Order: sequence, then structure tokens, then C-alpha cells
Amino acid sequence: MFRFLKPNHLPARLQRLKTLQLFSTLTTRELTIVDSLLHSRQFLAGEIVFDEGEEGQALYILMSGTVTISRLRDNVPEVIAELTSGSFFGDLALLDNTPRSAQVRAKEACDMAVFFRADFISLMETDATIGYKISLQLARNLAQRLRSQVIGRPRVETL
Amino acid sequence: MNNRHSGPIVWLGIIASTCLLLYLFRQVLWLVIPFLLAIILYYLLMPLMQRLLLAGLSRNVASAIVAGGFLIVFGLIGLFSAPWILSHVGSWQEMLSRYLDGGIQFLLNTALILEQKFSVLRKAHLADLVNARLAGYTDNFAQQHIAELLVSVVSWLPSLLLAPFLAFFFLRDGRRFKKFLSHAVPNAFFERTLYLLHEVDQTARRYFQGLLKLTLIDTVLLGSGLWAIGLSAPLALGFIAATLAWVPFIGSVLGCVIVVLVASTDAPNDPWLAYSAIGVFVLARLLDDFIFMPLTLGRSLRMHPLITVLMIFIGGSIGGVAGLMLVLPLLGIAMAIGETLGQVITDPRLRARHRHAKALLATQVNTDLYSEYDGKV
Repeated sequence: MFRFLKPNHLPARLQRLKTLQLFSTLTTRELTIVDSLLHSRQFLAGEIVFDEGEEGQALYILMSGTVTISRLRDNVPEVIAELTSGSFFGDLALLDNTPRSAQVRAKEACDMAVFFRADFISLMETDATIGYKISLQLARNLAQRLRSQVIGRPRVETL
Repeated sequence: MNNRHSGPIVWLGIIASTCLLLYLFRQVLWLVIPFLLAIILYYLLMPLMQRLLLAGLSRNVASAIVAGGFLIVFGLIGLFSAPWILSHVGSWQEMLSRYLDGGIQFLLNTALILEQKFSVLRKAHLADLVNARLAGYTDNFAQQHIAELLVSVVSWLPSLLLAPFLAFFFLRDGRRFKKFLSHAVPNAFFERTLYLLHEVDQTARRYFQGLLKLTLIDTVLLGSGLWAIGLSAPLALGFIAATLAWVPFIGSVLGCVIVVLVASTDAPNDPWLAYSAIGVFVLARLLDDFIFMPLTLGRSLRMHPLITVLMIFIGGSIGGVAGLMLVLPLLGIAMAIGETLGQVITDPRLRARHRHAKALLATQVNTDLYSEYDGKV
């Protein structure tokens, strides 16, 4: 009954989500809403998350583990980036329906949170604040990549 | 995935599975009808539930408030309207028999007019025949059908009361169920499955929203037509007929009968009012069945109008009245599942990735089994 008197501790999963760049500006209430939309997936080392050219329907957030991003150059896969825990990829799928521009493969066993595109769009329509905050973080991330590419030090490929 | 092109085999599978489902559902109608009502309630209450969720309430609390609120409002309406209903039952009974008498009189008058115009019908004593048939039917109607009707209403009541409870669980556990289903899917097929579940949800949502739109269009159309010919309570009659049209064809016929009964009773000496009402009704039904229904329900399900009309006929012949009501939403859902499954099953890359993931798992779980003790067993 007197729960409101207790200090406001975030559950471990929400704390973890709060540390991610994508959700860093969300309040506890907003994090709870977003968390209810996320799906959990586990990938084995070596398992493909998605292929280059595949139609993208979701954004992946790396909760633990490492993935490699590779692209076919003259029919030979070339590793272009490596992402570690806390990163996210497949973000362009949230914004449009373009095919994946590279392949992502788990380098070690990974835990991922998956944000389905339709859930994201529906969230944007029903809660503009959360939609705006996540979109801003996505835009910042894209700007960061663009800036890195312009100065010749590509950080992570856009997927 | 949005530009899907399914082949004839997939389409045959979709139609066959829809027919099979209709046949099976007909056997468990006592469960299907409350489920259907619960789904309509779910889509009706969902926006309110979403508002509460976005306000920061948990899913359990939000669903309890929404479903509980609905039950309370429904109960209060029942409670307050009960005395009014009881006080008017007598007059309604009188009104019903007045309209029935009016309808019978209209039929007899029509038969007499036809006899006057056509000698063949005069020789066949059409008016006498109609009178005798109607007398036999109306004399025994109460004894034969009222008790049967009451018993069937009472037997359906417990199963209909299931609907709000089912709707509550859909609201509370719908997302959990979706996650549970998607959790069981291998990684290779995960995104496609999410898309499939989303499509099924959207199809059902579009269908029931389309149904409500159609009811509104029908009410306005019939109401305007009946008002134009000078019938009393045109909007109420239009609404009743539009709601009855939820059951394709049979509901429409029943709606037409009600309108004719009212017209023939309101103006017993002017059969042209009843004929005009029939004309308005037929015109509205034609517009509805061939334009508005394919445009609202057909388009909501992204179906070709011809398939919509054909499937309504097939649904009626397989599942009767329930089949007529269920055929379109079932076809829409079967279409979403069939087209996506067809794509997943025929995608060699996805299957190869799944086999690869299984091989990785097999390697992982076998790693320590054969290293230290190899050759000792």
C-alpha cells in the first residue's frame, strides 16, 4: 500500500535498457512501455541474424555478446564492422522497408532484444513523446555514422 | 513481404483451409459465437486499453479497468432499462401483432391484386391459398416456435456471457500470447513470423472496423431512402436492417421483411408505400452487396470483390448462417497465414539458415561428450 514511499528502483532489465543509447532519454514509464514491446532472442556463435538483401522488419539491440557485420564484395564476404553489447543494428528497417544492406552473424553467443517495425510505428502513432525520443536517438546515431564516414573513419555500417 | 504474389496452389490451400475451418466451426458453434463477439469487443475496447497503458498503468490493471468498466456500464444499462422494458413489453407485444397483421393483410391484398391482373392466378385461387397457408402458420406459430425460441435463447445465454470474459483475457494476455507464439519460432523464421502475426491482427482489425463502417453506411442509406418515401422511424429501421445485415443475405431478407411489415401497417390502404419500401431496400442491398461490402470488407481484407462474393456463397452453403458471418474474416486470416507460410516454406535460404542453426546447436551440446572419454566406452 505504501509502495510510493519506497525508493524508486528500476528493475534490472529496465536498468539495462536505460543504459542503451537508443532508450537513454526515456523515463521509467516509457521504458516499461517499450520493454513490453520488445522480443527476446538468443543466437548461437556463428548463427546468422539476418542476410544481406533480406527484407528488414525489425531492429536488433545487442544485450550481450558480439556480432560481425559483413558484406559481399565480388562474392566474397568482407567483415566491415563488429558490434558489442549495448549496440543496435537494423535500424533502417524501422524507418523504411529497404532490404538489409549487409549480413549480421553472431560472433559469440548473443542475447538480443528485437523491436518489430509495426510495433514501433504503432508506438509512434499512439505515444508521440516516446516515438520522438527514440526517433531522435536514431537520427543522432545516423548522424554520427555519417560524420564518421565523411571524415573517413566509418564506425558502423548502416543496415 | 508487402508485395506478395501467391501461386494457384497457395490460393487453393487458402480456400480449402477456409472451407475446412468453416465446417469445423459449425460443429462448435457454441464456442465460436462468443469468441467472435469477444474479438469484436476486444477491437472495440483496445483503443481505451492502449490509452491506459500509455498513461503508465500495468497491462493487468488496464485490462481489469476496461473490461470491468464495460461490464459495469452494460449491467447499469440493463438495470435501468429493465423497468422500462417491462413496462413496455405489453405495448411491444401489441405492436408486434399489429405489424404482423399488417404484413399478412399486405400479402393478401397483393395476392388479390395479382389475381385481378392475371387470370392464371385467379384460377389457381392464389389469395385463398396464401390465406390458408398464413392462417395455418400464424395459428400454430406460438405453440410451435415460441417455446423453442425461448429455450434456444436460454441455452445460448451462458455461452454468450463468455464473451466479456474472453475479451478481458484477450486484452490482458493478447500480447503475452503473441510473444509466447513468436518465442517458439526458430531464429531464421522469426521476423517473418512477427510479420505474419501482425498481418493476422491487422486483418481481423480491418474486418471488424469495415463491418462497423458498413453498418453506418447502410443505416444512412436505408434511413435516407425510407425517409424519402415517407416511412415512420426511418433511421431506426435503417439501423435495425443494417445490423441484421451482419448475417449476409438471410439478415438482409429479415431486414426487408421488417421494413415491409412497418410500411404495410403504417399505410394499410396504400400498398405502394410497401412496394416503394421494398424497392428502396432492394436498391440498398444491391449497392451494399456489390459495391459497399466489397469496398469496405473486401478492401479491408485486400480481397478481389469477385472472391468476396463467391466466398460468401460458399460460406453459406458450408456453414449456414454462421458460415455466412464467419467466411470473410476466416478467409482473410487464412490468406495472411497462407501467403506468408507459402513464402517461408518455399524460401530455401531461410530453411538452410535454420538447418545451420540446428547443426550449430547439435555441435554445441555434443562438445564435451566425446572428447575426454573417446574410445573408453
